[in-house]
Amino acid sequence: MTDLLRVRDLSTRFFTEEGQINAVEGVSFTVEAGSVLGVVGESGSGKSVTGLSLIDLVESPGEITSGEIWYNNADLAERVESDRPEAVDGDFVDLRRLSEAERRSLRGSAFSMIFQDPMSSFNPSITVGEQIAEAAEVQRRASANPRSTRSRTQGYGLGRMLLDGVLPDRSYTSEESWDRAVELLERVGIPDPAERAEEYPHQFSGGMLQRAMIAQALAGDPDLLVADEPTTALDVTIQAQILDLLADLQETMEMSVVLITHNLGVIARVADRVSVMYAGEVVERGTLDDVFDDPVHPYTKGLLGSVPDIDRPGERLEPIAGNVPDLVDANMPDRCYFADRCPKAMTDCLTRPPEYEVSGNHRARCVLAEREYSEADAVSDARLSGPTDGGAGAASDGSSAPDGEVSDD
Amino acid sequence: MTDPLVRVDGLEKYYYENDTLLDRLTGAEPEAVRAVDGVSFEVREGETLGVVGESGCGKSTLAETLMRLREPTGGSVTFDGDPVYDLSGDDLDAFRRRAQVMFQDPFSSLDPRMTAGEIITEPLAIHDVGTVAERRERAETLLEEVGLSADQIDRYPHEFSGGQRQRIGFARALAIDPEFIVLDEPVSALDVSVQAQVLNLLADMQAERDLTYLFIAHDLSVVRHISDRVAVMYLGEVVEIGPTEEIFESPQHPYTKALLESVPRADTDERDRVVETIRGDVPSPRNPPSGCSFRTRCPELIQPPGLDVPQATFREISDFRTRIENGDIDVDLRWEQVGDANREDRAAFVDSLREEAFDEPLPDADEETVREAIRALADGDRETAAATLRERYRSPCEAVEPALPAGDHPDACLLNEQPDDVEAAREEWEAEHDASGVGTPSQ
Repeated sequence: MTDLLRVRDLSTRFFTEEGQINAVEGVSFTVEAGSVLGVVGESGSGKSVTGLSLIDLVESPGEITSGEIWYNNADLAERVESDRPEAVDGDFVDLRRLSEAERRSLRGSAFSMIFQDPMSSFNPSITVGEQIAEAAEVQRRASANPRSTRSRTQGYGLGRMLLDGVLPDRSYTSEESWDRAVELLERVGIPDPAERAEEYPHQFSGGMLQRAMIAQALAGDPDLLVADEPTTALDVTIQAQILDLLADLQETMEMSVVLITHNLGVIARVADRVSVMYAGEVVERGTLDDVFDDPVHPYTKGLLGSVPDIDRPGERLEPIAGNVPDLVDANMPDRCYFADRCPKAMTDCLTRPPEYEVSGNHRARCVLAEREYSEADAVSDARLSGPTDGGAGAASDGSSAPDGEVSDD
Repeated sequence: MTDPLVRVDGLEKYYYENDTLLDRLTGAEPEAVRAVDGVSFEVREGETLGVVGESGCGKSTLAETLMRLREPTGGSVTFDGDPVYDLSGDDLDAFRRRAQVMFQDPFSSLDPRMTAGEIITEPLAIHDVGTVAERRERAETLLEEVGLSADQIDRYPHEFSGGQRQRIGFARALAIDPEFIVLDEPVSALDVSVQAQVLNLLADMQAERDLTYLFIAHDLSVVRHISDRVAVMYLGEVVEIGPTEEIFESPQHPYTKALLESVPRADTDERDRVVETIRGDVPSPRNPPSGCSFRTRCPELIQPPGLDVPQATFREISDFRTRIENGDIDVDLRWEQVGDANREDRAAFVDSLREEAFDEPLPDADEETVREAIRALADGDRETAAATLRERYRSPCEAVEPALPAGDHPDACLLNEQPDDVEAAREEWEAEHDASGVGTPSQ
């Protein structure tokens, strides 16, 4: 299988008043063409920011500070080669080294994104059809006039606003785009699409609106769809419908999908490969089987052990002690970020672990990939109570408060 | 163990829309939103009764009404033999001491301007238990018991993480030493690793203090993990209730089956598991379907006597009928799509809609009925179109309302055992239905 996207050492930081937040820390992974990569992690693990970074939607105070995102597109490579030879490697183009205009022209047509909460992602005062048609119209104008990126935003200015006051019927979208919107709505399984296109977001249910958002994301026929918690706000019966739809679209449209979620069941249902994120890092990655059946990193194991199994209820869950660190740069210790919660922390863990190769494409950022755990090397809690610990009460039972907010004496 | 501590009987909670003074003066009819619509069950002493259902099914309203945080529209709740809605004065205070509640959202359920200690001692202060010093001591003990440390007592909620806040909310519920705690989605806002910590805490405390829980959640694996018995709610009604093992191993109601099947398993075999997703959305509680409330999505909808088409076909016909009845199909727009401004080519209209609405093949007689309905629709006569389909495809599920029979594991579905009066109603309906000659193809 060919690779669609190769992400190397990507870091995204937020520069806030509380200090520098390392939301994404040296993340590497590969998205194969026509497959689904699942990114799983708890809240605050950096998975959403990773998704946003992929399609360059990180906003101030956030910034992608380093890394390369190689995108496989021969046409683009040819077009860019003369201007920026350093950004091209064979058929691959490094998105980070493209100009802003070129990057923008890829959004929607090459990469697209759907978000968690469909209710707040749509404009409540414009019909659903119009909003999808708008996305289709942007792509239509761009393909009609590929040189100009200006045409994409034309019509959104003071002039347009004033004109709308006088001629409220003058629409940005063309009839062609409207038809395309109806077609897209039908494609994502909305009954009576022509009728529903004329309705406003509040007339749609949550599941229907999520379908509409997927339709909008498909308007530019993208190579890659980044889906950020697409089913989290939905009920299980609706979630099952949406997952089916995503799998079906991915197959028929030969799209790649990066599916970001905290739900391991959702990952197991649709993902081919999995990246597990913790504290801004990918701590383990590999095929679904590698990660679920043969996990190496104690965090992956802990995550899998924390989920109650609906088919095999056990007596007691085995949670991971403690809480997710807050990623403020000043508080991040210079050791394995998981060591203070890890049941198998050893003296080796006092240095930052590199990414070890377990087998094939199965990687883990844990020394246990190389050696067995031994009691003799176990490290005491005291040595781990670096700046990540809130102070009092030790970190054994979730009792340490989030850092940076509490100072204990 | 088997004595019911809480008995809920026919509980109803309706919210009314269009019910302001102005609406009354103008004579507008108030519209009822049936959040809880006739729910009966028992919670036995020392057990955990799980309540599951999708959003909008009335779980949280049930909890609030049961605790008398909202006044019911009808029905009754007895707590240890006392009718909760008739209590007043000291008796009501006593009930409030014995029953507590813990809420879902760790961010909005704690007052940001009170310290952890103040939050936990508030119930004690309200019920005038102990001196200030004693209360503080109690709060410190409780903090330790829920896995926090006593020196965190003077911290404010924003200094704690989500999981820690839920522990504080739980400590507050425990403060007054209740017997019964309603847990309203206590872990759904938490990450899985933290969720497991809190679930273990809840289980430990129950064992230690003989607590009785009513555990409300939408996450089925969590409910299975913690509950002794489970009630499944759909659109304000309990559709199935029984011991956890039985509900999960042999679910009886089609909704329970669909719900269980929909949960994605965190397992590598998950991809190959065939999931029959149920179609559509939960209907609005403003206008619930007649008869069985699940019939609009049910994969096992019962066909009228005399009709025997494949289930998938029957489902499609029923869905098509619903679209016509609800006026979802815009006839003008459809004519436009057919491209016939003069509306002469009825056959083209019929073909276009017929193709769009049905993936399954239709038997000849049904093909004819469906086309007849579409022809009526093409003429703009929605009533006739709906009536044509209704006559032939009316299901007993929409005429007869199922109920929960007595027993250990009852469910409200006409496919299964039903109380005598429901069975009688169904027989009567079917006899009538047969007599009118419906079920034979209409011409």
